[in-house]
Amino acid sequence: MNLPMTPGALNKSTRNLDPVLLFLVLVLSTLGTLTLYSAGKGTAHQALWLRQSVWNGLGLLAMLLLSRFDYRRLAQSSLSIYITGLLGLLVVLVIGHTVSGSKSWLTWGGISLQPSEFVKWIVLLFVAHRLGTKSPEGLTNWDLVGAAGLLFFPMFLVLKQPDLGVAMTYSPILLLFPLLRGIRWRWVVAGVLGFTLLSTVVWNYKLKTYQKERILTFIDPSRDLKGKGYQVNQSRIAIGAGGLWGKGFMSGSQTQLNFLPVKTTDFVFSVWAEERGFVGILIALALFGVLLHRILAIAGEATTAIGTYFCVGAAGIFGFHILINIGMVSGALPTTGIPLPFFTYGGSSTLAFFLALGIIMNIHHQAKSR
Amino acid sequence: MDLRQRNLLRKRLATLQAAAWLMVLGLGLVYAWLQVVRRSELQQLALSQAVKVRTTPAPRGIIFDRNGHRLVDNRRALHLVIQQEDLPKEASQVESLAQALEQDPAQLARRVQMARSAGMKRSLIVQDNLDDSGLARAENLRARFPFLSIEVAPRRVYQGDELAAHVLGYVGEVNPQLMSKEPGRYQLGEIVGRSGFEAARNDLLKGQDGQRKSLVDHLGREVALYGLENSTPGQSVYLTLDSGLQKTMQDAFGEERGAGVVIDLRDGGILALYSSPSFDPNAFLGHMSQEDVDLYVRNPTQPMLDRATQGLYPPGSTYKLLIALCALEKGIISPESTFTCHGRKTYYGREFRCDGVHGTLNLVQAIARSCDVYFYELGARLDVDEIHATAAKYGLTELTQVDLPNELPSRIPSRDWKARHGRKEKKWYAGETISVAIGQGQNGVTPIALARFYAMLGAKGKVLTPHLLYGQRDESGQMKIIPPQKPRDAGLDPKVWAVLDEGLYEVVRSGTAHKSALPGVTMCGKTGTSQVTTFVDKAHYRTLAKQFRDNALFAGYAPRENPQIAWAVVVENAGFGADAAAPIARKLCQYWFLDRLKKPLPPPGGKLPDAFEEPQSDEAEQDQEPAAPPKPQADGAR
Repeated sequence: MNLPMTPGALNKSTRNLDPVLLFLVLVLSTLGTLTLYSAGKGTAHQALWLRQSVWNGLGLLAMLLLSRFDYRRLAQSSLSIYITGLLGLLVVLVIGHTVSGSKSWLTWGGISLQPSEFVKWIVLLFVAHRLGTKSPEGLTNWDLVGAAGLLFFPMFLVLKQPDLGVAMTYSPILLLFPLLRGIRWRWVVAGVLGFTLLSTVVWNYKLKTYQKERILTFIDPSRDLKGKGYQVNQSRIAIGAGGLWGKGFMSGSQTQLNFLPVKTTDFVFSVWAEERGFVGILIALALFGVLLHRILAIAGEATTAIGTYFCVGAAGIFGFHILINIGMVSGALPTTGIPLPFFTYGGSSTLAFFLALGIIMNIHHQAKSR
Repeated sequence: MDLRQRNLLRKRLATLQAAAWLMVLGLGLVYAWLQVVRRSELQQLALSQAVKVRTTPAPRGIIFDRNGHRLVDNRRALHLVIQQEDLPKEASQVESLAQALEQDPAQLARRVQMARSAGMKRSLIVQDNLDDSGLARAENLRARFPFLSIEVAPRRVYQGDELAAHVLGYVGEVNPQLMSKEPGRYQLGEIVGRSGFEAARNDLLKGQDGQRKSLVDHLGREVALYGLENSTPGQSVYLTLDSGLQKTMQDAFGEERGAGVVIDLRDGGILALYSSPSFDPNAFLGHMSQEDVDLYVRNPTQPMLDRATQGLYPPGSTYKLLIALCALEKGIISPESTFTCHGRKTYYGREFRCDGVHGTLNLVQAIARSCDVYFYELGARLDVDEIHATAAKYGLTELTQVDLPNELPSRIPSRDWKARHGRKEKKWYAGETISVAIGQGQNGVTPIALARFYAMLGAKGKVLTPHLLYGQRDESGQMKIIPPQKPRDAGLDPKVWAVLDEGLYEVVRSGTAHKSALPGVTMCGKTGTSQVTTFVDKAHYRTLAKQFRDNALFAGYAPRENPQIAWAVVVENAGFGADAAAPIARKLCQYWFLDRLKKPLPPPGGKLPDAFEEPQSDEAEQDQEPAAPPKPQADGAR
């Protein structure tokens, strides 16, 4: 299919541009940018909200463009895109820029890109393409093992950087497909038992004390009150201090007095929580909920299995980001550096989220324009 | 995709949608827990780490003498401190800090522990009064121990060093003993008066501490002022002391030990009070050097003891005035009664000696020449309880109520007293009254009590309350006089008084103290020489070690025509009162009546306020003895 460049096609595509997703992405990125403005005020990160606005603008443009580009043609080229992505990860390992211990950045002319953020969507597209010849019910275990194999290489390269957080965001791509196909309970039970057994053995016989300590701190940050524990503790205080209605824009003491660490990136959501309170949290959570709901709805509309797989995987990735980040800042889940879509500052992740939404919009568009 | 499959897919996607909403709900519950249920607790935490409350210590009141000369001033001092919230938790930190400061680690650890457990609102001072090099060292220490900070605080400066140490006292951090004595009155770390007037009127001088609430960032840097309660400085006060007279007394004592008190006869104000040896209160403000500890605290001459209010001395012959007063009032003698002195006399089988052979004398002569035999005779005719009752009537048995801490009561023996305090014997023997009559035996008076007794004589029977607080400084910086306590009229018969006055005048004119007579000033007084050890003959006396020699006393008032001041001077182990104590009193009178008016101290505010010339309100006038101008004496000196 050609790009819809004729006036009529454009008309149609505009009509079929999913208004719900467009609304959500505009609202969320606006709220995120405002929060960044407040979080960065008076610190070295004062100008971050401006840069994020630029990324949002670029992302919006890329999303609109991609929403007009037939995803099936994109899927057909996904092998070469996949290989390009792997090459990108390899290049990063060689000439990458190290930020807070992870060699995951390509810096060129003042612009930094994090290939691993894009690769998760590339892998999803490639996996969707490979599995797309079969319907969800037609998936065999071997299909899934094969897809897992495709995931192995990029995850391995990302772990080499090392960036555990990003590597983990690759996992939902696979986890949801067995559910989509339908899974027998015995496999679930067997999986849980196997995991337990394996981890018990590894814990008792393979890990050194400092490694155990590191994992325990990951699970329970309060073991390390000066490091990660301090961050989570301050974050919880910020959230709680927000109360029901919040302290108001730019009025959170935790935020403005810098008690809240990494507040423009991983912990930006606690700034939102402190300034907007529980009411603000409910609004943000509702927006994210509708986002996931809508993506899964489009998965159902999709005219091809590729579209369905992509949407379900995308919902998984979005959901994973939302769950881990929002859970982490509240101390309910282990601390790990995973960005919150449209809130956390970051060019690569923001651009990648927009691009993914562009593909989903095209899937929606294709379904409507059939 | 057939219809059945699409339906199945829709069902499974719906399940996933439900899972997504379940996830959102779960997260919502977590936030509800933090933002609704635990809200106030976490808000409190946020507030407590962002808002720091620090006490700003109020400067204590400045202390002036009666002429407005500063005796105690405030300066700014820099202390190396640990703020309450920065108190180190690890013992190793405290230990290495103590090592770096060359302090006892156990003691520092105890102070840190105490500061934490007591919830001290002030910072803990680890090193005080930093000088330039100390400040440089402190800055280096701060790099190693980030919990340290440097604080500016008002600091006391005692002008004149040792000049009025026992009057002023000194200040220091409140100690646990003081805190347990009056629970709830003091805060840990508070600077309070520890002795002297600073302690006696701590309430007046200390002021109200302020509070500074500030918003701090995560590094503890102050970002904004959150709330400020200014401290109210303590009340600045004027003492009745005259620093010129005080200095005269200090110089007159020199190296001698003892104490002297000069009282203003109109209102009981203390014009000078000195205890020798003295100490430098400035040495007690912070950490004391070993040198100062040895000099002041471990010194056997006890420089810290205020001999003027806490030294009990046998009054010796100065006591004879009480005996004379008692005998006259009881009608045992008349002013004309005579006794004959042969240098010695035996009572109850024991021989009592006199300093000389005085022949036949009347009371005035007996006082002037300090004849012991005359007073033995009175002692033989009086009962000890009668003497005690007279002493009580004229205020010698009670505390003088001077505004200084820890005043000791004088010891005026009686039957009852011996029954309660006698060591072996509880019964009073008549022979003891003979010794009592010349101020020996069990008698013990404080210099201030003795001065008040002579002030009573000078004031014709008015029992004054000696005091140091003269006035306070009002908003405009002027002195507002605080009305002194009204004197009690003990009802001294003017005829009796005239005889005593005559006797005291003769002491200086022709009697034992004639060498100390001051041309132009009619001094009245009584010498005293009180035995420290058992009597030995005069030839042997010169060979005695100094600490076994007699105490010299001289108490009196001047000028006779219109008494203005009264005094008592005690010089320890100095020999005869006439030789050692009377010359000091002479110097005091020389300064007060002659030099002060000719060579006044540089006036503080352009005018030298004279205690005797100051115009006072009518009401205040009535409270006091009518004051006549002192000029005639001053002029008469030439």
